[in-house]
Parts: sequence; C-alpha cells; structure tokens
Amino acid sequence: MTTGGGAGGNGSPPLVVLEHITKRFPGVLANDEVDLELRAGEVHALIGENGAGKSTLMRVLYGMYPADGGRILVRGQEIKIGSPRDAIANGIGMVHQHFVLVDPFTVTENIILGEEGGERLDVVAAQQRIAELADSYGFRVDPGAVVEELSVGEEQRVEILKALYRGVEILILDEPTAVLTPSESKDLFDNLRKLREAGRTIVFISHKLDEVMEIADRITVLRRGRVVGETPPAETSKAKLAEMMVGRPVLFRLEKPTVQIGEPVLRVQDLTGDGKLNGLSLEVRAGEILGVAGVEGNGQRELAESLIGLRTPASGTIELEGSSIAGRRVFDIRNAGVGYIPEDRHEQGLVLNMTLWENALLGRQDDAEFSGTLGVLFIKKVKELTARLIKLFDIRARSVDVAASTLSGGNQQKLILARELETDPKLLIAAQPTRGLDVGAIEFVWKQILDQKAAGRGVLLISAELDEIYALSDRIVTLYEGKITGEFPPDAPPEQIGMGMLGRAPEEAA
Amino acid sequence: MATQGLAPPIAVARTRPAWLETFAGQALALLASFAIALVAGSLLIIAYGENPIDVYTSILDASLGSADGIGYVLAIATPLIFSALAVSVCFKGGMFNIGVEGQYLVAMITAAVAELNLDFLPGPLLIPAVLIAAMLGGMIWAAVPGVLKVRTGAHEVVTTIMMNGIAVSLVGWALNGPLHYNDAPEGAFVDLRSNVFPPEGLAGDLGAKFGVTPGAHLSWLLFLAIVAAIVVWFLIRRTRLGYEARAVGSSPGSAKAGGVSIGSTQLRLFLISGALAGLVGMHLILADRGYLPLNYVVGLGFTGIAVAFLGQNNPIGIIFAAILWGILSRGEVALQISSQVPREFIIILQGLLILTVVITYQIAKRRLAARQLQRAGLAGELEDSAAPEESSGPRGPEDTGAEALEPGKRI
Repeated sequence: MTTGGGAGGNGSPPLVVLEHITKRFPGVLANDEVDLELRAGEVHALIGENGAGKSTLMRVLYGMYPADGGRILVRGQEIKIGSPRDAIANGIGMVHQHFVLVDPFTVTENIILGEEGGERLDVVAAQQRIAELADSYGFRVDPGAVVEELSVGEEQRVEILKALYRGVEILILDEPTAVLTPSESKDLFDNLRKLREAGRTIVFISHKLDEVMEIADRITVLRRGRVVGETPPAETSKAKLAEMMVGRPVLFRLEKPTVQIGEPVLRVQDLTGDGKLNGLSLEVRAGEILGVAGVEGNGQRELAESLIGLRTPASGTIELEGSSIAGRRVFDIRNAGVGYIPEDRHEQGLVLNMTLWENALLGRQDDAEFSGTLGVLFIKKVKELTARLIKLFDIRARSVDVAASTLSGGNQQKLILARELETDPKLLIAAQPTRGLDVGAIEFVWKQILDQKAAGRGVLLISAELDEIYALSDRIVTLYEGKITGEFPPDAPPEQIGMGMLGRAPEEAA
Repeated sequence: MATQGLAPPIAVARTRPAWLETFAGQALALLASFAIALVAGSLLIIAYGENPIDVYTSILDASLGSADGIGYVLAIATPLIFSALAVSVCFKGGMFNIGVEGQYLVAMITAAVAELNLDFLPGPLLIPAVLIAAMLGGMIWAAVPGVLKVRTGAHEVVTTIMMNGIAVSLVGWALNGPLHYNDAPEGAFVDLRSNVFPPEGLAGDLGAKFGVTPGAHLSWLLFLAIVAAIVVWFLIRRTRLGYEARAVGSSPGSAKAGGVSIGSTQLRLFLISGALAGLVGMHLILADRGYLPLNYVVGLGFTGIAVAFLGQNNPIGIIFAAILWGILSRGEVALQISSQVPREFIIILQGLLILTVVITYQIAKRRLAARQLQRAGLAGELEDSAAPEESSGPRGPEDTGAEALEPGKRI
C-alpha cells in the first residue's frame, strides 16, 4: 500500500519500536504493555475511543510522560527519552491539538524560537531557510506573516514546520483535523503525502475513520490501553475498525423513524445580525429534522444563539408555533419550549465546577417544582431528578454530588441532552451535538435526536460533519455567509451539497 | 460510551462519601498551611535572635490566655466577619468588591443620621432603625458601581476604588457640616466627630457578663455577625439567587444559556454585599465610640478581603478566619512587651497565612478532583479532563500558579 518513499515495505527494519510500554495514572492503566512499530516513510494511524490511550502512548514517546514499564528503540538502539528535548534530538517531533505559538511573533520568529543558532539573530537567513522548507513540502505559509493573523490551518502548518525545522524525521500529529475545516484537512493531507514521499514517518492520531482510511498506510487500534489490532486500510473497513475500537458492532446508519411531518414549529424569515447573518430564512416542521450543513464560521453560531435568545437579531422574524420569539430573553424562549445543545458544551452548556445536580437544574431553577416563592431551592427534588436522568441516559458518574468536570466528554454531553430533553421541548436546537465525541457516544446522541423526531418534535441540526447531516436529516439546507444557499433531499449527492456550502448551489439541485 | 456493559470494579470498591473526603482533605490542607506559615515565621523570629516557641506562646497567651484577651479577639473579629462576608458575596458572582471600605464609611454616616434624628424612639426600635439605615447606606454606595457594571460594563474594581475615595471625603464633609458636634464642653479640645449618640441607641457592653473588661468593647454585634454568616451560607447554598450567582461566577456563558440574567444577578449580589458592608462600621460607632469619628479606623474593608481569602469565601470559614485574624492582631501587644521582634511580624505572619492557605487549598482541590476522576473509574475521564491541562501548555508554568491565586475561580 505504501506509495513512494522507498523504505516503506515490510522488509525494512522498523525505525521506532515501542516494546511493552506501560503507563499508569493513579487508578487508571492508560497503556498496558503496548507494542508498536513505526517504519520509515509511512503514515501510521493510531485510532481508538477517547481514553483508549493513544495520546498517552505518544506523549511517552515524545518524552512528556515517563513510562512505568517497557522500552523504546530508535533505529535499533534502545534510548531513554526524558523530555521533549531528548525526543527532538532523536528526530521525534509532536504537534499537539492546542498550538503553542507566540501570537505577536512572525512565523519565522516562532519557528526559530529556542533554535536561534547564536547570539546574533539572522532573521533573513532563517526566513529563507523556512521558505525553502515550506516550499519543498508544499506548505502554503508566508514566513513573514504575524501568527495572530493566521487561520487555524495555517497555524497548524507553522507547528509542523517548527518540528521539521528541527530536523524531525518522525512527526506525531495529535488529532490534527479536529480543528480544521474540510478544505483545510484536504490541504493537510496533501502536505502529509509530500512528507511521506520525502521519507518522513508520520503518526496520525485520530478517531475519524474516514480520514484514517484515506491517509494511513497502517492502522493500529487501541482499546482501553491495549493494542487490539494492526492492519493496512485495504484489509479492513470502517465498520470493522469501529467494532475494534468500541468492542461491539456500531451502526453507522441508524433507522430513521417514519413520522407524519406536521405543521411548522419554527419559522425564521430574513434574519440578519452581527454581520454574520444576512437574510437567513428556514422552517422546521413537527416530526422533522432539518440539517444545516456548512463550513464553520458561516453564521452557524450566530443562528443558534439568535434562536435561543443569546443574541438579538438586527432584523427578521423568528416564530415558534406562530408566535414571535425574536429578541426575547433566553428564559422566556426556553419556557416557550425550546431546548438547546450548544456547540461548546463547556462555554454554554455546563458549569464545570458545579455538581451534576446543579447542572441538571440549570435552565429550570425557576420552575415551581424546584424552587419556592422565596427562592429557596428544593434540593432533594433536584437530586431525585438528576438521579433519574443519570439512569435514563446511562451517564457514568459516581453520584449526583460530583463536579461536572469529573465526567468524560461523552457523559457531559449526555448530561446536557438529558437536561434539555427532560422538558419535552417542541423544538430542539442541536449545534455540533457530537463534536469531540467518540463512536459509541455519537451513536447514543444520534439515537436521542431521532427519538425526538419520533415523538413528533422539530429538530434543527447544525453540524459541520456531513456524515451527521446525512445520518439524521429529513431535509438538508446549506448555509453560506449567513444565508441559506440551497435545499436538498436527504439523498442528494455530497457534491451538490458541497457546492451549496460554497455558495454556488445550482437551482436544479433542489 | 458503554464498552462491555458493566462499569469497572474500582467504582464499587471504596465508597467513602464525597463530602467526607472533601472535608478531610480541606482539614488536612488547613493544618498543613498553618504548619508551613508557622515554620516560615519561626525562621524570621530566629533571625531576630528570639525563640519561636516563646514568641508564639506569648502571642497565644495575650489573645487566648485570659477572658480579657478572648474578649478583645472576638471584638476585633466582629467587624471583620461582616466585611469578609460582603467581599465573599460578590466573589461568588465573579466580582471583586474593593468598595467595602467606602460602603461602610457611608453607612456610618447614614447610621449616625438615624441615631441623632430618631432619638425619640425607644431603644428596641432605635437600634433596628439604625442598623437598617446603615445597610441602606451601604447598599446605596454599592448600587452605583453595581449599576455601572451592569449597564455600561465599567469594571467594579475601578469604580469601587473611586467610590472609596469619595466616601472618605464625604465623612469629612458630614462632620464639618450637617453632623458637626455641638455638644462638646465649653473650651474643651475635641477631635472632629459627631454628637454623642443616645445611650439607648448603643450596642451595650457584653463583656461584663463574662468577666471581660469593658475596654474590649465586646457586644452582641458578634452574634449578629454569626447570624449574618449563616444567612449568607443559606443564601449561597440553598436559594435560587445563590445558585444563579455561583453559575454566573463560574461560567457566565453557561449561566446565560440557562436563562439566568447575568446583570440582574450581579446587581442583586452587589446590593447584598453593600448591605453587609453597611454593618462593618457598627462595631466602631455603636460599641466602641458611641459617635461618628473622623476615619479613625480605615482599612476594615481591605482587611475583609484578606479574611475572605483566609476563609476561602466560605461563610463559616470566614468566622474562624476572622477570629484567627483577631488572635494575631491581639498578639501584637505581646510582641511589643515581651520580645525584640517588631510588631510588623504579625502582618507578615498574616500575609504568610493567606498565601499558604490559598496554595494548599488549591493543591488539595486538585488532588481531590484527580481522586474523584479515578473513582469514576473510566480511563477516558483522565485523558478527557485531566490530561489536556498538561498538554495545552506543555512547557507552561503560567497556567499553574496564576490560576491558583485567581479569586473568581473559587466555588
């Protein structure tokens, strides 16, 4: 399967060997005798659910965590890697999910930071070297640009260049596409292919199976800290990989319930505001899931926040079952029957340092059921509610009194879902409802959204994942620069929807 | 999420209740912080050529060694409890009320006005009227920065500091003008002050009942302060307003998306804080002086911030923190009499205590959080919530120390 790069075949000795790596955190065995081989000139995907131990394993290799057992061999020599500095000296570099760049510095200044090479700073020479380096791998980056003016994709390229500038041969990328738009991901993959051709080795940590199938030469699957399999993509399938990751078969397409589509629940007309919404109109009917597809930053956030009352639209109407809710308070809109799953669950969903019961109460603190006229909370009742929700949604938590921050991402999202669905909202706004979740949790969230449809409620699904839009929607609209640019049936080919996402929907598409 | 059905066994094995664990952890943190502060203080004492044990003993002896000493300690603690409570109420909502100082100065003016103009009322009516006037005065002074924050976004730290300056001048103006004394004996030299309050309008001396010297000025205001702490605890922990305040303080975005009005919550907190601040000066004018003096005691509002820190913004913790503060302050007397260590040592010790308490609590909190994470049992939880902290700023000491000292983050 390996293309170019020469050294990729099975015959060549492995470049890096991890033997029986064990890493323990208090109470958790993050890596349990993991064996892994990296060969020169391959893209090696490391996949697994959140918490399977993939990032931990790579942090051990990068010298961020000391291993509790096992050994590391590079080019046949056993070495000790005590810090990222050691790792880089051995040709191992890592790009984290969160970038560490100095914003007011230029690209060049960021790249040479710590590698200035002498007391006299020769920025011009460095800039030239970086430009050559970038050129040779097809990185589109201006070495003179200031980092704070770059897009996320460009910042990522700077991070990768930073590693390459230090002569790294093995490049570890921790979920590199999690922060990228689809077109940025494509650019990244082009860059990675060039790096592979040049004989560099890339470790690609991910839980997105499509990408892994596309880019990887070999795939290693981790589950609960153990390697459960290693395979080239040609000999497996998405379904098989998902089953390996989760430990049971996973449904990628859920059965959509057939429901009589009813009257419009939500009707939005000519909505404008904040320069991000430019005359947006749409309609969600009872028993219907409307999928809003679009590249992020085209007004998704503003749309969701205008609907729940966090923003006041500049003009346009928003009607919930015929009565206007535009510009009303969040409190009133919630009471009118709107549930909200925010795209950022830490910013708008949960108060992380408060307990589960306090989080379950959020949005309902004024209900006569939970607080008296003098404002005294009926804590016992709230705890009962929370215990019920925890059971109903299979939220893994020690008790209702632990802080929300102690839950995993999937369980946090379940808690938000449980809270928002408990009131039987007429309309559910689900913004990027499965962002950052693993396969098992995604399946659960999808099921819940489909259950809403089955119960005859309206759902507005805003998602950057086309898969998700396809899996759930009854109708699909595309959002581009704050406007709906096309409406499509759920079986429209992705190319057409892609055109709509770029604002060029042909009329005959609908 | 369900991997093979059942939760891992770790969750079942040890089941100490979370609250007990939290309590034990905090108690341990407190002991550790005291020990560290005392040891650090000892080094200083040794540097002055004195024996630390002797010095600490003399401090304890002066403060807790006699009924008088205890009386003094509790009298010192009384206004500090109100002050720290006022600070902590705003803290809960993510705000920093630096204006307690100005709020109680204004409250002393309004209380003095009530004393001197409602003197026809019998004592049981006059005192409540005076306390209400004080709380109103504090609320009015707190309302200004509160409204400015909610309406214009003006930062409360800046506005309250400016309100403090105005309040100081206001006391001077009132004492030179409307409240100027005219009851002084002919020819006697008297400091700038108001007329003396009617005796039935004073908080009577409580010390006599317990054999404490009247010089300590111990009064029932101490009990009022304790009641206030309990009320604040109830407000924060058991009511809708307190709940919304904590949500706003910890995550404004989530609170807003949950239908909480941030502005209205913060304004209400500011008013409550102002009312509590209004009671800070009552000990001075009702129990100690019996009239409104010219800024004799300045700084109770600022000391309140320190006490709130020491008490970790917990109303009950604040009572003990204020008493501890009182013990050290009273110890100053002993230092001057019995040792070569300068009295400023007490201030250093108080500062050390705040530092060690804040730091050890932060460490304890993280430990507890980590422990609860592993109890939850899933490996995923560690990688999800704990590990990113380390990865986001791989080489960064900046995200450990700074956060530990940031007040708004506390629960």
